[in-house]
Parts: sequence; C-alpha cells; structure tokens
Amino acid sequence: MSVRTLFIGMDGATFTVLDDLTKSANGGEPVMPFMARIYAEGSRAKLRSTPNPLTPPAWVSLMTGRGPGYHGVYDFIRAEEQGDDVYFTLYDARDCRVETIWSIASRQGKSVCALNFPFTAPPPSELNGVIVPGFIPWRHLRRNSYPENIYERVKAIPEFDPQELAWDFEREKQSVDELSDEDRENWVRYHLPREKQWFKVAEHLMREDRPDLMAILFDGVDKLQHQAWPYVDPNLQHGELSGFHQRMRELSLSYYRQLDGFIENLVKEAGPNVQVFFASDHGFTGSTEVVRINAWLAEKGYVHFKELPEGEAGKRRDSTNFAFLDWSKTTAYCRTPSSNGITIRVARKPGETGIDPKDYDKVRTQLIRDLEDLKDPETGERIISEIHTREDVFPGSAMDDAPDLQLVLRDFGFVSVRNLQPVVQPRDYVIGTHHPDGVFLAWGPGIEAGKVLGRRHITDVTSTLLYSLGLPVPSDLEGKVPTAMFTEDYRAKHPLEIGEATRGSVKEERGETMDAEERQQLMDQLQMLGYME
Amino acid sequence: MSNLKKDTPIDTVTAVAVDLTQDWGLDPGTKFASETLVAGDLGFTSIDIIQLCVALDQSYETRFGFQDLLMKDGSYIGDVSLGQFADFIASRLDAKGASA
Repeated sequence: MSVRTLFIGMDGATFTVLDDLTKSANGGEPVMPFMARIYAEGSRAKLRSTPNPLTPPAWVSLMTGRGPGYHGVYDFIRAEEQGDDVYFTLYDARDCRVETIWSIASRQGKSVCALNFPFTAPPPSELNGVIVPGFIPWRHLRRNSYPENIYERVKAIPEFDPQELAWDFEREKQSVDELSDEDRENWVRYHLPREKQWFKVAEHLMREDRPDLMAILFDGVDKLQHQAWPYVDPNLQHGELSGFHQRMRELSLSYYRQLDGFIENLVKEAGPNVQVFFASDHGFTGSTEVVRINAWLAEKGYVHFKELPEGEAGKRRDSTNFAFLDWSKTTAYCRTPSSNGITIRVARKPGETGIDPKDYDKVRTQLIRDLEDLKDPETGERIISEIHTREDVFPGSAMDDAPDLQLVLRDFGFVSVRNLQPVVQPRDYVIGTHHPDGVFLAWGPGIEAGKVLGRRHITDVTSTLLYSLGLPVPSDLEGKVPTAMFTEDYRAKHPLEIGEATRGSVKEERGETMDAEERQQLMDQLQMLGYME
Repeated sequence: MSNLKKDTPIDTVTAVAVDLTQDWGLDPGTKFASETLVAGDLGFTSIDIIQLCVALDQSYETRFGFQDLLMKDGSYIGDVSLGQFADFIASRLDAKGASA
C-alpha cells in the first residue's frame, strides 16, 4: 500500500515569509530548500480564509469544506448569556455540525491518519484510521485519540514525550502582559522540539500504516509568527538591527529550516506516487495599533460597563479581558477579542434585556454607521475597514450562533474588549496578526509545475483532497477543486465526479462551562498568541 | 476509545476516572472511591474536570449538563467527589426515565 495523498498543514503560513525563505540567500542555499523545490515543481495559490481568519472557524472549514455558517464553530470560546452573567464554554469536535473529511473518506473505504488538528477531539466513535488531536493537554491525549490502542503505539516511539508534544496550558501560562525578550526567545525555542515530536509520530505512523490520506498540522508556524513577526517579516529586516533582533531572526529561521527538513522527510517517506498538498488556515501580517472596541461602543451608548469591585478583586476582574457589563443597559458588545465580532442583544422572551426584536434592523444599521465613524483623527481613514452582516458572510443553518456583525480592522488586528482609553492606541512594537490570505500548494505526479493560480478559498482544500484520493466530491461542499492545479493528462484519466451529499451531524446542547481559572488560562494563552491587548 | 459504562453510575465514574488518570503518574496506592475528591485527592485541574465531564457524557452518549453539579449560586464549588458525580448522573438518568 502506498500513501496516495499527503496533506501538510502549516498554521498561519504566509507567502510573505515563504517567498523569502525559498529564495537563495546571498547566493547560497535558501532557508527552505525543499519548499523551494515545491515552488518550482508544483502549483500554488493564495488561500482566502474564513471571514474571521482564526484557527477554529478556519481549520474546521478546511476539514469540512463548509463555511462557519454551516459548521457552527466561530471562535475558541462560545459565550452564553445566563441571567446577569456570561458563561464561557470551549468549542470541541462535537460542536461541528457537518461531516469532516476524515469521516467522508473513511466511510468510503479510504484509510486516514490525522495528527494535531484542532477540533478533532473527542474523536468520532468510528473511523478507518487514526486521530491524534491537537490543542489537547497531554494528560488527555490517550482518551482523545483514536483508535483505542493508538496511544500505546505512539508512546513506544523512541524519544516520545507527550509533555513536549502536546498543547500545555501550564507550560504556556508563562505569558504576561508583555513578553520580555527572554520570554520571547524561550517561546520560539519551546516550539522547536514540539514540532519534532509531531514529525516523529507522523513519520512512524505513515511508515507502519501507509494510510491513503496522511495529514499532519504543524502549528508552530503560527505560534512563532505571533511573537516573532518583527524578525521574520522580510519587510522589517532593514536598517540597524539590534543583536537581540539578529539572534531572534536566526532562531526563527532555524525553526523554518527544521520544518523544511521534516517536510522533505515526510514526502520521501510517503513514496514516489504521492500527491502532496500544503495549506494554512490564514496568513500573517503585522498589527500596529490597539482598538478598544467596547470602549468605542460605550461612547456611542451601546455598552455600559459595570463598576469594578474595589481592590484586588477588581484588578483581577479587569485583567481577565472579558467584558464586565451592565446587562440591563447594554445593547451591543464584543464578547471576545478573537471573535472580532459584535453581538446585538435582542430581548426575545419576557424578562430578557436587550432591544425589541422589531427594532433589530434599525439598530443594526445605526450600529454600522457608528462603527464606520471610528476614524483615524489625522488621516480620516476608517479604523474598521470592513463591516459585514452575518447574512452576508455566515449564511447557513448555524448562522444564529454567529456574531451579528463581523469586523475587519485596517491593520487586520484583533480588537480589545477592555474598558480603557484611548479607543485607538499605537502599539509599542509590531506584533504578528492574522491576514485573510493563507497559502495553498500542491506537488507530485499529476500536478502542474511552476504554476501560480488565482486566489482560492479555504473550503476548496477539502474538495481537492477528496479528488486526489479518487473520491467523488460531495454535492453540498462549498469548495471547488482547482482543476488548473492538475495536469491535463491527470484530469483526463481522473475525471472529477460530484457525488452524494455529506452526512450531517446533529448539534447537541452543550453542558460544560469553564471556571474562572480555566478562563484565565485560556486568556493567558490567547494573549500570548496576540489575540489580547 | 472503549465505552466504560458499567452497571451503576459509581462504577462508571470510577472506571472513567481510572482510565483518565492512567498516564498521570499518580501514586499506585491512590484510591478511587465514592468519597475520593477529584481535585483534592486526584489532582484534577479545571481542564481535567471538563475532560472528565466529556468522558462521562460519551460513556452515556448524552450531555448531562454538569454545570448544575459544578456550580452553586453562580459560583463554582471547590471540589467534587466521584460519588457526587455518580449521584448527579443517577438523578439525571432518573429524570429521563432511563436506567443506569
């Protein structure tokens, strides 16, 4: 048996960086020589992410071929208003309302192996293959992996260390309001062995199982770029660079160099007939300012902050980055920084607070105008460059869970929800943030060489992988196969087939909620990733 | 992932807790009994408790809504015993008219 399709996810990978790292440096070898070969011998395109280019909605779209309006995963955290407080729950695989590629391929007889993908835990009850999930603490990897014996097999891999491999809240809790230079350096160093662990697992399982679809996500690209963007963005490497800057750049480049080696080894291990695809859930760019969106909404009368308790309790509450609001008066607010969304509170039942349902259109229209009015006082430029209604960007059966308005800031940053002034403030230094355009590359037999296609959509990846596997593309997938990526000869021998629709999964009511400590841990982690002020 | 549902809720809760903690390096003499406290005796953090709730939901193929056990008067309670989890499950199953 041979691996037919190899998918390598690179969280947050962007052509801004990859183009630079695949060029020869000063006449020598590029930082990523194997990726340079992929560029030369394969096809590539920019890949447009979900309306909010964020890990949860974007990876779930990539794994399902459906937009968030159908799959229903919008953020890391789902907030629910209950009485006088808002309770927070973590999204997990059970919240995804549509079928994943792992299931689509599996039920049609293809074997799959999916490593380190978010929202694959808890795993499905039946699968023809293996899932070792991402974004799960090491203490829960065993229970959340599939099949039952897989953890024992993985544990037997020489040098396997689950604590080094897994997403670890405690280890990453070192984050603070602003990272010191030392912490930043440690943050980058932390991801070098993590990726190696995942590589070893992938190499081992691919060699032993030879799945039809082998898929691995390297998420260190995103983590590194959030904290090390000034050192990896080729546009920021000019002028006089400090010793620390040069050290961080070299350290960051060592990460990409290592990743390139992992990719080359995985491709070799997959065999000569494999088609290889690479994609990211979003791209990257630099954010230069803080936008305190709830403070702006307070100025406009939509948000009413609650008075914080005195003393330490108040300071703690203020630092949680969750809006502490007077629900009897608040009519529209932003729940989480990573959402970049505005929720309008509608009183749907007697006793509920919020606007009258019949006023919804009028309130939303005015709210859009008020958000458009947030402008740079010096240039008059709008701070919020795009404002989308949920009908426009999240049409589908899960639209009711979406924010009423989806915002795009002019620097693509994530908003702050804190009660601080000024509303817009320049950052002390540029931090990495998500850009809507990620990457999509293909290489191998049947793939056009050296071709650059027009921009594709993240949902196209699912359809493309299914086509590569020789399976029909379900009729209800939103994504299309970029046929120009494949040679004419390949297309003639492998005609594209549209098949029956996917099998849906029913969303159940969520039960668990997070306590204050866990909320804080998550906030710390999101802050580390640059989602927080 | 095997289904660890047993004849009684306490047996199920105990089996799930044992399964969940098998890689944690707990003292081999650690007791898993009705009075065992998940945080105090087993070292659960909040995310471990969430994972226990998910695992119990999966064992019974339902969603119990454990926030009603873990919260009192709007605040999270300090610690929970395996027996309290079992009693909560039993009460929810009774309410549904299902047998444990």
